[in-house]
Parts: sequence; C-alpha cells; structure tokens
Amino acid sequence: MNLENLPLAILKAILDAFTWCGAKAGIVVPPWALTLVSILIVIVAILSVFLVMFALMSVLERKILGRMQNRYGPNRVGPWGLFQPVADGIKMLTKEDLVPRSADQIVHFLAPIAMVIPALMLPAILPYGRGMVPVELASGILYFFALGAGTEVAVFMAGWSSNNKYSILGAMRAIAQMISYELPLVMSAVIAALVAGTLSPNGIVMAQAGVSFGVVPNWFVFTPWGFAACILFYIGALAESNRSPFDLPEGESELVAGHLTEYSGFKYAIFFMAEYIGMFAINGLLVTLFLGGYQAPFPFLEWIPSWCWFFAKLAFVAFSMVWVRATMPRFRIDQMMQFAWKFMLPMSFVALIAAAAWHYAGRGLAAWGISFLIVAVPYLLLGRFCFTRRHTVDNRRYLFSE
Amino acid sequence: MHDLIQKLTALPWDQSPQWLFLIPAGLMLLAAAAAVALRNLIHSALCLTLSFIALGVLFIALGAEFVGFVQLLVYVGAVAMLIIFAILLTPASEVSASNNPFRSFKLSRAVNAVAGGAVVALVLAGLFTAIFFSPRVRAAVPSPNAAAPVALIGENLLTHTLLPLQGTAILLTAALIGAALLAKEEKES
Repeated sequence: MNLENLPLAILKAILDAFTWCGAKAGIVVPPWALTLVSILIVIVAILSVFLVMFALMSVLERKILGRMQNRYGPNRVGPWGLFQPVADGIKMLTKEDLVPRSADQIVHFLAPIAMVIPALMLPAILPYGRGMVPVELASGILYFFALGAGTEVAVFMAGWSSNNKYSILGAMRAIAQMISYELPLVMSAVIAALVAGTLSPNGIVMAQAGVSFGVVPNWFVFTPWGFAACILFYIGALAESNRSPFDLPEGESELVAGHLTEYSGFKYAIFFMAEYIGMFAINGLLVTLFLGGYQAPFPFLEWIPSWCWFFAKLAFVAFSMVWVRATMPRFRIDQMMQFAWKFMLPMSFVALIAAAAWHYAGRGLAAWGISFLIVAVPYLLLGRFCFTRRHTVDNRRYLFSE
Repeated sequence: MHDLIQKLTALPWDQSPQWLFLIPAGLMLLAAAAAVALRNLIHSALCLTLSFIALGVLFIALGAEFVGFVQLLVYVGAVAMLIIFAILLTPASEVSASNNPFRSFKLSRAVNAVAGGAVVALVLAGLFTAIFFSPRVRAAVPSPNAAAPVALIGENLLTHTLLPLQGTAILLTAALIGAALLAKEEKES
C-alpha cells in the first residue's frame, strides 16, 4: 500500500464495498452497474476537488493580492480569513435573483447553464497521475478545445439576452478576445502534440518522461521551442479565462461588469465558478502539455506520488496568474488585438518551425542550438519592428467614428 | 489495478443499447425544426447551434470521436458565431410584413403547404437515393470499433486529399481578404 496508488485504491475499495453490499442483499451486481458507479465516483471526485480548489483560490487570490499590495486581505471570517468562501457562498445564495423586465427571459436563464456545463466537463481528460485519467480519449486535446468553443456562445447568450449596452459591449469584447487568442493557444498546443506524436494528454505526458544531458528533465518547457510555446499558451490561457491583463471584457471602470452586468445572486456565482474552473482546467492542460504533467523533475524525487506533482505544478501556475494580476495593468482593446495578431500568431508559427527543426536535427545539443536561433531571431525582430512605434494622440485613428 | 479502472471508466458506447442513438438524433431534429419555425432570428441561430452540438454528440456516439470534436470545434466555435455576427451586423434583422420581398407571391396556406412539402420530399428523396445507391456505402462493411485513429486521418489529409485541402485553404484566404476589403471601404465613405 503506497501513496502513489491511494486514489485508485480508494476507488477500488468503494467498488468492492458496492459489490459486497449487493451480495449481502442477495443481488448479483451486473457489470454495467459497476461501470455506472465508478463513473459517478470519478465525477464526484473531479467536482469536489475542483470546487474545493475554486473556494480556496477565491480566498487565497485575495490574500495574495493583498500582500502584494501591502495590505492584509480578507482576515475576518474564521482563522486567517479561510472561511471567507463560506460567507461569500451564503451571501450569493441568499441574494435576490434579479432579471431585467426587458431581458430575454429564456436565454437569460440558459446562459449560466451553457457556461458552466463545458467548464465542468473540461477537467475530465486531464491525467492527474500515473493511470489516473478519468476519460482516456485518443483525441483528448481536441476534446478540450471543442468544449472550450461552447463558452463563446454562452458569453454571447449572456450579453445579448440582458438587453443592456454594457452587457452586449462586454460580450462582443470577450468574443473578439477569445477568438483571437484561441488561434495561438491551439497552435502552441498543436506543437506539443506534434512532437509527442499523439493527441492524447496521457501520451504527451509519457513523451516528457526522463532526463536528458544528465540534469535537464525532458519536459517540453526546457527546450527553446517548448519555452516559446509554453509562454504563448500561458498568455492565451490568461486571455481565454478573461484574467488580468486581459480582463477588459469585464473592465469594471468602463463596462460595469461586461456580460455579467445584469446577473446577480446565484447565477452570478455560477459564472464566477465557471470562469475559475475553466482557468484551473486550462492550467492543467498547460501543465500536461509543457510542464511534464505528473512526472517528477528528477528520478530521486519519484517517491513523491505523481498526483502530488500534478497538483503542485497546477498550484504554481495558478499562483503565477495571481502574480500577473497584481503586476500588470489592463490592456486597451486595440493593443490586445494587435498583440494577438501581430505577435502571438507569428510567434506560434515560429515555434512550430523551431519544433520541427529540433525534431529533424536529432533532438540533441545541436538541435537545441538551431531551435534556439529559430525562436530568438524572429522574437527580437518582431519586438524591434512591430512594437516600437508609439501610439500617441497624433497617430491614433478611430476607424469608424471619424 | 490500472487495467481494471480503465476498463470500468471507458466510454461505454460499444455496449450501449441502440435506442440511445435516438436522444441526440431527436434533439438535433427538434432544434433544427425550431430554428426554422422561430420568429426571432437570434433564437433561430441559437437553436441551430444546439442542432450542431447534437450532431457532434451523434458522431461521437457512433464512434467517430475525431469528426465529432471537429464538428463541435468548427461549427459551434466558428460557424455559429459567424451566423450570429452576421445577424447582428445586418441593419434590419427583422423582415416586416410590409417590405417582405416575397409578398407578391402570397398564396393560400394550402398551396404553400403542398409546395413546401413537395420541395422537402424531393430533396429528401434525392439524398436517400444518393446514399442508398452510392457504391461506397454499399461496399462499406461496418465493423465494431471502426473509429479511425487520428494519425490515419492526418496521413490521409496530407496525401490522398491534399489538393482539396489546399483548395479549401485558398478559398478561405480569398474570403478573408474579401471581408477585410469590405470592412476597409467603410472608412472612406
């Protein structure tokens, strides 16, 4: 009995107990019932882990932000303010659920549901540990992005049905941002899939096992193309989950709350939850694609269970997102679009070429050098020539309002 | 133990009863009918999106995982948004009774129903004949676990169907340039 197999052992114990209870009651448990129960257990496990992470994140984020801004953050409810999510939950649940009279009642009601269903389905394909993949799909990466596409429709439903100018403006911004950043996001995921030779998340994690040159783990982030793709994916993930500096769809100083303006109470809480669970899921995909998934960095650290490594990496990426939020100001919308189309997209193609060069040059030290050159030269050129022209008042042009 | 877990949590499509197929299929037909029948264009577009989603689920239920996910990714993520944007950007998105260009063709309800029914029957008959008498469908032997691996699909895309793929790419690029041109002209007026 070791810690590595603990989650699987718990699952097996519950199934055994189920069979035993059936035998006691004199019923032979059919195989489909066992399948159903094991699927239910896995669903409950995923939901509870991600909901607990959401609750923890909602308080830790505010505490970390507070510390970074030289204040305390929430510290009134419970020890160190840790019960803040409980207080928030009670507040959200008891608040009145306001629906504007001129809103489209049905679509307004369905939008939070359309938002939360894909978000809750996203974590199903992530490999949490050795042999711990809830749903083994040969095209798991594709599943992730296919479900992510549903979010855009949900955001549009929320924005349009509210019948409010701030809502529709926020929704349009959010959709423009999601479509623009989905391209580099998918491109950088494609690079990892190409090098691993598979679209299955577990296969991609397996391809990152081991250590090269004696010290460097074989994680994709430690290759030049992988580093570039990882950064691109990270920025794309920030944009897809509407987090600062890409929070302009909800920019509270301009648009009240974007597509969430007319939502209150429990529906607002559902949007909030969907956003955070989507963020955890996309961070999990980042860990899977580039940070070696559940692999330990060095062989001598393998006594720590693989699922601990996964969640430690996930926590690190989530913390870095809070860090970015405390550091960066919000983009202006034209800067956001320019950055996506003039920098992110070309760089993702460059990373793709660098990955191909790395693969065909034999994946050794020479390949590392060639790949580094292919990434670094376009990066410097793009940075030098695309973003040095300052957008001052003189040369800013308003295309549609002159 | 891993094998046990994998066996237990594997997608049970292979053993699922045949009638499960009716759920996504029925949903797809209902949503498509609603898309035609509803008055509000945005509601129609959303129903069409639901129909796309149900079609994707149907593909997945039939074992064509890859096609199902691509259906969701392309149709829900891109085509549905395109339709919605087109509706929002069209100035008069609701055709009123007075400026309906088809008003002069107004016939009695019975004639309308017969004509519409005839067109639907003709289209369906054409589709059914095409499918039933196509040599490919007759030659295809359905096998359990017919889901083609992704690698095979990719290889076919870049060998046998390379020319159509590149042709589609050129077409889409032309459409993109045309759209950009149309949007640019707005500034000068």
